[in-house]
Amino acid sequence: MSDPRADGKAKDEGFARDAIPWMDDVYRFALSLTRDPADAQDIVQETYLRAYRSWHTFEPGSDCRRWLFTICRNAFLRAHQRSRHEVDVIDGDAESVAAARDHRAMIDDGTDRLLATLDLGPALDRALDSLDEPFRATVQLVDIEDQSYEAAAGILGVPIGTVRSRLFRARRQLQEQLRLHALDAGIHGGAGHGGRHA
Amino acid sequence: MPWTPASTAAPATGGDMPDDARSIDCTSAVRQLWDYLDGELDEPRMNDVRRHLETCQACLPHADFGRRFLAALRDARARRLMPPAVRSRVMHVLSQAGFTDG
Ligand SMILES: [Zn+2]
Repeated sequence: MSDPRADGKAKDEGFARDAIPWMDDVYRFALSLTRDPADAQDIVQETYLRAYRSWHTFEPGSDCRRWLFTICRNAFLRAHQRSRHEVDVIDGDAESVAAARDHRAMIDDGTDRLLATLDLGPALDRALDSLDEPFRATVQLVDIEDQSYEAAAGILGVPIGTVRSRLFRARRQLQEQLRLHALDAGIHGGAGHGGRHA
Repeated sequence: MPWTPASTAAPATGGDMPDDARSIDCTSAVRQLWDYLDGELDEPRMNDVRRHLETCQACLPHADFGRRFLAALRDARARRLMPPAVRSRVMHVLSQAGFTDG
Protein backbone atom coordinates (compact mmCIF):
# COMPACT_ATOMS: atom_id res chain seq x y z
CA MET A 1 0.00 0.00 0.00
CA SER A 2 1.37 3.37 -0.91
CA ASP A 3 0.99 6.22 1.48
CA PRO A 4 0.22 9.40 -0.51
CA ARG A 5 2.03 11.51 2.05
CA ALA A 6 5.17 9.37 1.81
CA ASP A 7 4.92 9.50 -2.01
CA GLY A 8 4.71 13.27 -1.87
CA LYS A 9 7.74 13.40 0.39
CA ALA A 10 9.76 11.17 -1.97
CA LYS A 11 8.69 13.32 -4.90
CA ASP A 12 9.78 16.51 -3.16
CA GLU A 13 13.07 14.97 -2.11
CA GLY A 14 13.80 13.84 -5.66
CA PHE A 15 12.83 17.21 -7.08
CA ALA A 16 14.96 19.07 -4.51
CA ARG A 17 17.93 16.81 -5.21
CA ASP A 18 17.78 16.55 -9.02
CA ALA A 19 15.98 19.63 -10.34
CA ILE A 20 16.46 22.55 -7.95
CA PRO A 21 20.29 22.66 -8.22
CA TRP A 22 20.04 23.53 -11.94
CA MET A 23 18.10 26.75 -11.49
CA ASP A 24 21.09 28.97 -12.36
CA ASP A 25 21.66 26.99 -15.55
CA VAL A 26 18.00 27.19 -16.53
CA TYR A 27 18.05 30.92 -15.83
CA ARG A 28 21.09 31.43 -18.08
CA PHE A 29 19.44 29.46 -20.87
CA ALA A 30 16.17 31.37 -20.42
CA LEU A 31 18.09 34.65 -20.52
CA SER A 32 19.81 33.58 -23.73
CA LEU A 33 16.37 32.94 -25.24
CA THR A 34 14.59 36.06 -24.00
CA ARG A 35 17.52 38.47 -23.53
CA ASP A 36 15.32 40.15 -20.94
CA PRO A 37 15.82 39.42 -17.21
CA ALA A 38 12.13 39.86 -16.32
CA ASP A 39 11.03 37.55 -19.15
CA ALA A 40 13.74 35.08 -18.15
CA GLN A 41 12.40 35.02 -14.60
CA ASP A 42 8.90 34.23 -15.91
CA ILE A 43 10.28 31.42 -18.07
CA VAL A 44 12.29 29.92 -15.19
CA GLN A 45 9.23 30.04 -12.95
CA GLU A 46 7.09 28.39 -15.63
CA THR A 47 9.79 25.78 -16.28
CA TYR A 48 10.04 24.77 -12.63
CA LEU A 49 6.27 24.70 -12.13
CA ARG A 50 5.85 22.46 -15.15
CA ALA A 51 8.78 20.29 -14.11
CA TYR A 52 7.32 19.88 -10.61
CA ARG A 53 3.86 19.00 -11.92
CA SER A 54 5.22 16.47 -14.41
CA TRP A 55 7.98 15.12 -12.17
CA HIS A 56 6.48 11.62 -12.53
CA THR A 57 7.52 11.70 -16.21
CA PHE A 58 11.17 12.36 -15.36
CA GLU A 59 13.21 9.20 -15.68
CA PRO A 60 15.32 8.82 -12.52
CA GLY A 61 19.01 8.69 -13.31
CA SER A 62 18.64 10.47 -16.65
CA ASP A 63 20.03 13.94 -17.33
CA CYS A 64 17.76 16.29 -15.38
CA ARG A 65 19.43 19.46 -16.66
CA ARG A 66 18.75 18.41 -20.24
CA TRP A 67 15.14 17.64 -19.32
CA LEU A 68 14.76 21.09 -17.72
CA PHE A 69 16.33 22.82 -20.73
CA THR A 70 13.78 21.13 -22.99
CA ILE A 71 10.89 22.26 -20.79
CA CYS A 72 12.42 25.74 -20.70
CA ARG A 73 12.66 25.90 -24.48
CA ASN A 74 9.01 24.83 -24.82
CA ALA A 75 7.91 27.36 -22.22
CA PHE A 76 9.71 30.05 -24.20
CA LEU A 77 8.10 28.97 -27.48
CA ARG A 78 4.65 29.04 -25.88
CA ALA A 79 5.19 32.42 -24.26
CA HIS A 80 6.56 33.99 -27.41
CA GLN A 81 4.45 32.14 -29.98
CA ARG A 82 7.51 31.10 -31.91
CA SER A 83 7.49 28.44 -34.55
CA ARG A 84 9.24 25.22 -33.64
CA HIS A 85 10.40 24.74 -37.19
CA GLU A 86 13.01 27.10 -38.46
CA VAL A 87 14.85 26.40 -41.68
CA ASP A 88 18.60 26.83 -41.81
CA VAL A 89 20.60 27.09 -44.97
CA ILE A 90 24.07 27.21 -43.43
CA ASP A 91 26.73 24.66 -44.25
CA GLY A 92 28.77 23.58 -41.22
CA ASP A 93 31.81 22.54 -43.24
CA ALA A 94 31.90 25.84 -45.10
CA GLU A 95 31.69 27.59 -41.73
CA SER A 96 34.69 25.69 -40.35
CA VAL A 97 36.76 26.53 -43.39
CA ALA A 98 35.73 30.19 -43.14
CA ALA A 99 36.62 30.16 -39.44
CA ALA A 100 40.12 28.95 -40.29
CA ARG A 101 40.45 31.74 -42.84
CA ASP A 102 39.43 34.25 -40.16
CA HIS A 103 41.96 32.79 -37.71
CA ARG A 104 44.65 33.13 -40.31
CA ALA A 105 43.74 36.78 -40.85
CA MET A 106 43.90 37.37 -37.09
CA ILE A 107 47.26 35.69 -36.80
CA ASP A 108 48.55 37.73 -39.72
CA ASP A 109 47.33 41.11 -38.48
CA GLY A 110 48.39 40.49 -34.87
CA THR A 111 44.88 40.59 -33.36
CA ASP A 112 45.40 36.98 -32.32
CA ARG A 113 48.27 37.98 -30.02
CA LEU A 114 46.36 41.03 -28.85
CA LEU A 115 43.47 38.83 -27.80
CA ALA A 116 45.79 36.70 -25.70
CA THR A 117 46.72 39.77 -23.65
CA LEU A 118 43.19 41.09 -23.13
CA ASP A 119 40.47 40.15 -20.70
CA LEU A 120 38.02 38.66 -23.17
CA GLY A 121 35.15 38.33 -20.68
CA PRO A 122 33.33 41.67 -21.04
CA ALA A 123 33.84 41.80 -24.82
CA LEU A 124 32.63 38.22 -25.15
CA ASP A 125 29.52 38.93 -23.07
CA ARG A 126 28.66 41.88 -25.30
CA ALA A 127 29.29 39.76 -28.38
CA LEU A 128 27.03 37.01 -27.00
CA ASP A 129 24.24 39.51 -26.43
CA SER A 130 24.57 40.71 -30.00
CA LEU A 131 24.00 37.25 -31.49
CA ASP A 132 20.60 36.62 -33.03
CA GLU A 133 18.37 33.68 -32.31
CA PRO A 134 18.71 30.78 -33.00
CA PHE A 135 22.49 31.19 -32.78
CA ARG A 136 22.55 32.52 -29.24
CA ALA A 137 20.68 29.58 -27.70
CA THR A 138 22.89 27.10 -29.55
CA VAL A 139 26.11 28.69 -28.27
CA GLN A 140 24.60 28.91 -24.80
CA LEU A 141 23.81 25.20 -24.72
CA VAL A 142 26.97 23.81 -26.28
CA ASP A 143 29.71 26.29 -25.40
CA ILE A 144 28.53 27.58 -22.05
CA GLU A 145 26.36 24.81 -20.62
CA ASP A 146 28.58 22.08 -22.11
CA GLN A 147 25.82 20.11 -23.83
CA SER A 148 26.77 17.71 -26.63
CA TYR A 149 25.60 18.46 -30.18
CA GLU A 150 23.14 15.61 -29.78
CA ALA A 151 21.74 16.93 -26.49
CA ALA A 152 21.42 20.45 -27.90
CA ALA A 153 19.64 19.06 -30.96
CA GLY A 154 17.13 17.30 -28.70
CA ILE A 155 16.53 20.41 -26.60
CA LEU A 156 16.15 22.70 -29.60
CA GLY A 157 14.19 20.20 -31.68
CA VAL A 158 16.49 20.40 -34.70
CA PRO A 159 18.84 17.92 -36.44
CA ILE A 160 22.42 17.60 -35.16
CA GLY A 161 23.74 19.06 -38.43
CA THR A 162 21.72 22.20 -37.75
CA VAL A 163 23.22 22.55 -34.27
CA ARG A 164 26.67 22.16 -35.78
CA SER A 165 26.22 24.74 -38.53
CA ARG A 166 24.53 27.25 -36.21
CA LEU A 167 27.27 26.79 -33.67
CA PHE A 168 30.07 27.32 -36.16
CA ARG A 169 28.37 30.37 -37.66
CA ALA A 170 27.84 31.82 -34.18
CA ARG A 171 31.44 31.22 -33.16
CA ARG A 172 32.63 32.98 -36.27
CA GLN A 173 30.44 35.99 -35.49
CA LEU A 174 31.76 36.05 -31.92
CA GLN A 175 35.34 35.89 -33.15
CA GLU A 176 34.73 38.75 -35.53
CA GLN A 177 33.40 40.84 -32.62
CA LEU A 178 36.49 39.94 -30.61
CA ARG A 179 38.73 40.90 -33.49
CA LEU A 180 37.08 44.32 -33.68
CA HIS A 181 37.45 44.63 -29.92
CA ALA A 182 41.14 43.71 -30.13
CA LEU A 183 41.76 46.21 -32.92
CA ASP A 184 40.04 48.88 -30.87
CA ALA A 185 42.01 48.01 -27.74
CA GLY A 186 45.20 47.83 -29.78
CA ILE A 187 44.65 51.27 -31.21
CA HIS A 188 43.55 52.92 -27.97
CA GLY A 189 45.79 50.84 -25.71
CA GLY A 190 48.87 51.97 -27.60
CA ALA A 191 52.21 50.19 -27.47
CA GLY A 192 53.07 47.17 -25.39
CA HIS A 193 50.45 44.88 -26.81
CA GLY A 194 52.69 43.52 -29.52
CA GLY A 195 50.72 44.85 -32.45
CA ARG A 196 51.81 45.16 -36.03
CA HIS A 197 55.38 46.18 -36.79
CA ALA A 198 55.96 48.79 -39.46
CA MET B 1 57.44 11.03 -27.94
CA PRO B 2 55.97 7.73 -29.13
CA TRP B 3 52.61 7.82 -30.84
CA THR B 4 50.33 5.20 -29.34
CA PRO B 5 47.36 4.38 -31.50
CA ALA B 6 44.15 3.41 -29.72
CA SER B 7 44.14 -0.35 -29.59
CA THR B 8 40.48 -0.58 -30.58
CA ALA B 9 40.77 1.62 -33.66
CA ALA B 10 40.96 0.36 -37.23
CA PRO B 11 41.96 -3.31 -37.20
CA ALA B 12 45.26 -3.60 -39.02
CA THR B 13 45.15 -5.49 -42.26
CA GLY B 14 48.54 -7.05 -42.82
CA GLY B 15 50.51 -5.24 -40.15
CA ASP B 16 50.80 -1.53 -39.44
CA MET B 17 49.22 0.88 -41.80
CA PRO B 18 51.67 3.16 -43.58
CA ASP B 19 51.67 6.63 -42.00
CA ASP B 20 50.23 8.26 -45.10
CA ALA B 21 47.19 6.05 -45.11
CA ARG B 22 46.00 7.56 -41.85
CA SER B 23 47.37 11.07 -42.19
CA ILE B 24 45.16 13.99 -43.17
CA ASP B 25 46.00 17.29 -44.83
CA CYS B 26 45.58 20.81 -43.44
CA THR B 27 42.25 21.39 -45.17
CA SER B 28 40.82 18.28 -43.67
CA ALA B 29 42.23 19.08 -40.21
CA VAL B 30 40.87 22.60 -40.29
CA ARG B 31 37.48 21.41 -41.52
CA GLN B 32 37.24 19.11 -38.52
CA LEU B 33 38.85 21.42 -35.96
CA TRP B 34 35.69 22.54 -34.16
CA ASP B 35 34.32 19.00 -34.09
CA TYR B 36 37.68 17.87 -32.73
CA LEU B 37 37.86 20.52 -30.00
CA ASP B 38 34.27 19.68 -29.07
CA GLY B 39 35.12 15.97 -28.87
CA GLU B 40 32.40 15.20 -31.41
CA LEU B 41 34.41 13.04 -33.86
CA ASP B 42 34.63 9.27 -33.72
CA GLU B 43 37.80 7.79 -32.28
CA PRO B 44 39.80 7.24 -35.51
CA ARG B 45 39.02 10.79 -36.68
CA MET B 46 39.90 12.26 -33.27
CA ASN B 47 43.25 10.50 -33.58
CA ASP B 48 43.77 11.70 -37.15
CA VAL B 49 43.21 15.34 -36.22
CA ARG B 50 45.22 15.06 -32.99
CA ARG B 51 48.16 13.61 -34.85
CA HIS B 52 48.01 16.29 -37.53
CA LEU B 53 47.92 19.07 -34.93
CA GLU B 54 50.87 17.55 -33.08
CA THR B 55 53.06 17.80 -36.13
CA CYS B 56 51.74 20.68 -38.26
CA GLN B 57 53.17 24.13 -37.55
CA ALA B 58 50.57 25.79 -39.76
CA CYS B 59 47.54 24.36 -37.97
CA LEU B 60 48.81 24.61 -34.41
CA PRO B 61 47.98 28.33 -33.98
CA HIS B 62 44.41 27.65 -35.20
CA ALA B 63 43.97 24.96 -32.59
CA ASP B 64 45.49 27.11 -29.83
CA PHE B 65 43.28 30.01 -30.70
CA GLY B 66 40.23 27.77 -30.84
CA ARG B 67 41.00 26.34 -27.41
CA ARG B 68 41.49 29.75 -25.82
CA PHE B 69 38.32 31.04 -27.42
CA LEU B 70 36.24 28.12 -26.16
CA ALA B 71 37.74 28.42 -22.68
CA ALA B 72 36.82 32.12 -22.55
CA LEU B 73 33.27 31.24 -23.63
CA ARG B 74 32.96 28.60 -20.91
CA ASP B 75 33.93 31.25 -18.37
CA ALA B 76 30.75 33.15 -19.27
CA ARG B 77 28.98 30.58 -17.12
CA ALA B 78 30.47 32.09 -13.96
CA ARG B 79 29.75 35.64 -15.09
CA ARG B 80 26.02 35.16 -15.58
CA LEU B 81 24.42 34.52 -12.25
CA MET B 82 20.76 34.38 -11.42
CA PRO B 83 19.67 37.21 -9.14
CA PRO B 84 18.82 35.80 -5.67
CA ALA B 85 15.36 37.36 -5.94
CA VAL B 86 14.54 35.06 -8.87
CA ARG B 87 15.36 31.96 -6.82
CA SER B 88 13.22 33.19 -3.92
CA ARG B 89 10.35 33.90 -6.29
CA VAL B 90 10.54 30.47 -7.93
CA MET B 91 10.80 28.68 -4.58
CA HIS B 92 7.77 30.63 -3.36
CA VAL B 93 5.71 29.69 -6.42
CA LEU B 94 6.79 26.05 -6.04
CA SER B 95 5.77 25.98 -2.39
CA GLN B 96 2.34 27.30 -3.40
CA ALA B 97 2.15 24.36 -5.81
CA GLY B 98 2.79 21.96 -2.89
CA PHE B 99 6.56 21.60 -2.96
CA THR B 100 8.29 21.28 0.41
CA ASP B 101 12.04 21.77 0.42
CA GLY B 102 13.89 19.69 3.01
ZN1 LIG C 1 48.11 21.52 -40.99
